[in-house]
Amino acid sequence: MIDIVDLRHRLVDIPYLTVDARHIAVIGPNGSGKTTLLSVCAGIEEPRAGTVRLLRRPPSAVKVGWVGEFPERTLLFSRVYDEIASTPRFRHYPCRETDEKVGAAAVKVGIPHLLGKKVSALSGGEKALVALAAACADDPEVLVLDEADSHLDAGTAERVYRVVQESTAAHVLWCTQSMDTAAGADYVLFMEGGLVRHHGTPEEVFSALEETCFYPTMWRVLR
Amino acid sequence: MRVDLEDLVFSRGSFTLRGSGTFGAGVHLVSGPVGSGKSTLALLLAELLRPGTGAVRRHDVLSALLLLQFPEHHITCPTVAEEVRSWGLAPDDVLLRADLLRRGDDDPFHLSRGELRRLTLACAVMRNPDLLMLDEPFSSLDCVAKREACRMIEGRGAGITIIFSHERAVLPRVDAVWEMEDGALTARGSVPDAIPSWRHAPPYLAYALREGARPENIRLSDAREALCRTRG
Repeated sequence: MIDIVDLRHRLVDIPYLTVDARHIAVIGPNGSGKTTLLSVCAGIEEPRAGTVRLLRRPPSAVKVGWVGEFPERTLLFSRVYDEIASTPRFRHYPCRETDEKVGAAAVKVGIPHLLGKKVSALSGGEKALVALAAACADDPEVLVLDEADSHLDAGTAERVYRVVQESTAAHVLWCTQSMDTAAGADYVLFMEGGLVRHHGTPEEVFSALEETCFYPTMWRVLR
Repeated sequence: MRVDLEDLVFSRGSFTLRGSGTFGAGVHLVSGPVGSGKSTLALLLAELLRPGTGAVRRHDVLSALLLLQFPEHHITCPTVAEEVRSWGLAPDDVLLRADLLRRGDDDPFHLSRGELRRLTLACAVMRNPDLLMLDEPFSSLDCVAKREACRMIEGRGAGITIIFSHERAVLPRVDAVWEMEDGALTARGSVPDAIPSWRHAPPYLAYALREGARPENIRLSDAREALCRTRG
């Protein structure tokens, strides 16, 4: 359960919102406040006013995995292994457990062959998969993806989608510019100018957006 | 006006790029997965990388411009107006075209991602080079901004325009389709004949083809029109 009350932070203004769905797509134009909302929900930023509760706890008390839009700007370590290991290491796991978690995350994302590589030698898509593995390394309760698919081809984006679907996270907050991806979510938030303009099932939200380019392309041709 | 790739080979580490073919006047789309070599091909075409063997030969191409994937990498000046002047253009014309009037005194880094892309794309289109190469011009834009980018690209008159992109929802009208896969460049040919053999076609286009429709171009509207014709 995600509960937001009287949230005001930068341009985001959400008086009241409660969502009880697992896969939540956050969509809307550039600059509508999607990343800001995700940052507050992930506990990266403290809101100026109002409260956010994930699983009835403040975000700082929840295990959150974050995948940003530009992994090459946020990856911290030069080796793939160390990058993925940073999640358990920062949580003070012993070496053996850390090693197990890194191995399991790499298998989950399908990148065991990259563990020995330098991050600088990876393609953009591979870096996104490393960031995803790091986010999943300690089984997050909430997984947050901020346009993580913007710079991915269809094949890699499908792999990310599968890993997200199979993760044990209670909630997945996924901001995307692919409406065809958002159409597969359980719940959709459409943001504009800092406000949640529409929210509900994909059918409910996209029916309100039918006259705009935010309508999924596949729905458009199937209609 | 044309650019010929003559048995081009470029290697770096275990990656090898190979390509042959001719880019004539019109809009070309080079599609393919991330990491398949699209950006490397753009750098080779822009003569910013030298091929190991083979050659890129330009015929009657007097000016060329490569727009990088991240528009912020183009910024060299502290204000939007100075940035436009650095392209050798008059700020008023460009800011009108980019819908950024009254933003001339702003720091370019205070523009949103979509605005910055609009600015660099407007500068590139108004410089009107014979050869314009656009590396992922649609990534991280919302669909409204993607449509604007498409309009700017379609509004370009003569010249060769080459778009390198993995975009699968909002695309401009193009004249030819190419594909990159694991470093190998394949010419699919002129549109619409190229469409059925386009392996990375967006889902809506693939669906239209499966339904027996024959879209005249690659846009969502083309797929819908073709479907309407088959459905009567």
